[in-house]
Amino acid sequence: MTGEPIEAVKNGVQVMISSLRQNPQAIETAFISIITFDSEAKQVVPLTDLASFQMVDIRATGTTSLGEALKLVSTCIDNEVTKTTAEQKGDWKPLVFIMTDGIPTDDWQIGLEEFRKRKTAFTVACAAGSAADSALLKLITENVVSLDTADSQSIAKFFTWVSASIGVSSTKVEDGGQEVTGMGELPPPPAELNIVT
Amino acid sequence: MANANQLVTDLFKSNGIIIPEHRMKLFDRFLQEEQNLAILHQLKKNQDQLMANWKTEDRIAEIVQQPIRIPNATVGKHYAAPFDFEQYGWNDLIAFRIEGLETLGLNYSAENNQLTGVPTQSGDLKFSVHFKVEGQPEEAPFHQKDVLLIINPDPKTLWQNLESDKNDPYWKEDDVTLFSPIGDRHLLVSSKRGRSHATVGSFREDDFAFKELPNGWNVVVVADGAGSAKLARKGSALACAGVVNYFLDPAAVESMAEFDNLVQQHASQTGADTQKNLNRFVYNTLGKAAFQVHKQLESFAKAQEVTLKDLSSTLIFTLFKKYDVGYALLSFGVGDCPIAVLNKDVTEVTLMNWIDVGEFGGGTRFITMPEIFQNEKFATRFGFKLIDNFSYLFMMSDGIYDPKFVVEANLPSIAKWQEFLADLNGQNEGKAAVDLSTTNPDLAAQLSKWMDFWSPGNHDDRSLAIVF
Repeated sequence: MTGEPIEAVKNGVQVMISSLRQNPQAIETAFISIITFDSEAKQVVPLTDLASFQMVDIRATGTTSLGEALKLVSTCIDNEVTKTTAEQKGDWKPLVFIMTDGIPTDDWQIGLEEFRKRKTAFTVACAAGSAADSALLKLITENVVSLDTADSQSIAKFFTWVSASIGVSSTKVEDGGQEVTGMGELPPPPAELNIVT
Repeated sequence: MANANQLVTDLFKSNGIIIPEHRMKLFDRFLQEEQNLAILHQLKKNQDQLMANWKTEDRIAEIVQQPIRIPNATVGKHYAAPFDFEQYGWNDLIAFRIEGLETLGLNYSAENNQLTGVPTQSGDLKFSVHFKVEGQPEEAPFHQKDVLLIINPDPKTLWQNLESDKNDPYWKEDDVTLFSPIGDRHLLVSSKRGRSHATVGSFREDDFAFKELPNGWNVVVVADGAGSAKLARKGSALACAGVVNYFLDPAAVESMAEFDNLVQQHASQTGADTQKNLNRFVYNTLGKAAFQVHKQLESFAKAQEVTLKDLSSTLIFTLFKKYDVGYALLSFGVGDCPIAVLNKDVTEVTLMNWIDVGEFGGGTRFITMPEIFQNEKFATRFGFKLIDNFSYLFMMSDGIYDPKFVVEANLPSIAKWQEFLADLNGQNEGKAAVDLSTTNPDLAAQLSKWMDFWSPGNHDDRSLAIVF
């Protein structure tokens, strides 16, 4: 992902963070981490509370190491998401959003196997543009959306919807500890997002 | 001039003039001429100036583009962060001024290399450093570098208090606080809608109920409806009413009378296996009550064509009765709501139940889950305690437990309960005090105020019942 799309993703994250900062539930409880994947997967922002979060420059060039990314998100969940014990209060289950505009160039099945062992409140994958393979993303999660074109407007819409979803689900996950199982429980996506069934 | 020859040769060369061998002597003489020497000197000076100017421009651009990260601030919260020129490598600044900080509520101290103050507005905001670098003439204009400062809004100001929809068929009051005699003791109970619900105008999902039963028994019930379940507010209300109704039923009243004999036998140690019999009685009677509540929820769900999961609610209840030998306390619990009894001197705490907590935040179990009745741990959900006297019986939803006790490990600690009592007594940030005296006319109002305590991230419904 280079050029206009990556700029749009950067903007999208900025806008998302700014809008989440206006959500009292989110600003007091949400933590965010960003992992990028191109020729390699990198955690560019470790899990950081929303109030302290600062966006970094993100770049994506070369290939699409989706498998590496899934493996990395799994180890990050292990290391950074606290589980409840008698002595320590656990975190809420993580929400995972995956966005890609290409097809994986590495052994993604191994990464997926790792990722499947982790518990998430829900995972949403977004196929941005025609070069992405939404059928493959469907193997990672039930919840897949696609953008016809990876232009800045569509990407911005995706992030607006992600912010709204975080707002809703953080309350839901918190209140009952029940899982949000399908996209039916998330806010309706805008017209630019196609739900992949 | 040492390299005058080289300089002119290069200049000529770049303009297509090559000095042939037989003109070399002439070229040397040409370079020695006073007039040409002067031109050369000026040329060299101009070159140096040009390079110096470029270096200055480059440095200015470097400073303007240099990413400067300073920690985020929050409106209304004292802010102090280093803003250190040396750390940024700005040792070559010959003049500077900082603009735009005052409007944000901040100041810069050159002495401490610090930004301090109390931010007054939120957003992705900017202030600017106006500077001149070494090499610039004094009269040169200042250059501007913008620095991003993210100021978070004060979360307290973001919460709204929207009324819930009174026309909803399952509407309940957002806040209820009551003080009432119960048996030979008193009950102070409050259930309040959490900020997370108030801010979106949704309903209180917690509930409670209490009743003096005909045979000297008293029952107190607390239930916490799961926020993610559609009709949890009804689920918790039904669960509370269901428990009270079960024990009001003549059959239950009669069966509770049996307990009197068992307690007498136990106290005088006349019967065999009295403890076992008591436990069996508690298991049978309270187990039936819990199962009946589950069944009632099931039939309600069926009649309303909703799922049982839509009514998800935790449930705790305690029955107590005073005997000559002391108080008998019986309890049942499913979910993450603790029940605790403190002895007369507040030196010992007895937990009547264990709480269901999951691996991740918010995970718990509900009375609507059929599997809890089949689980081998079902028998451990009951509590029985014979105690000569008690100071307080506490029952609470996780809206109180989470902020005040945080983790399970704190529940058996009497020190934590003493802290909790001190907190109720006014040792808290908001100085909200509840004078737990039966003659206090403001008791309910005081508890209601205390219930609104501020705890970041803890904005669930809150219910607290105190028998004292």
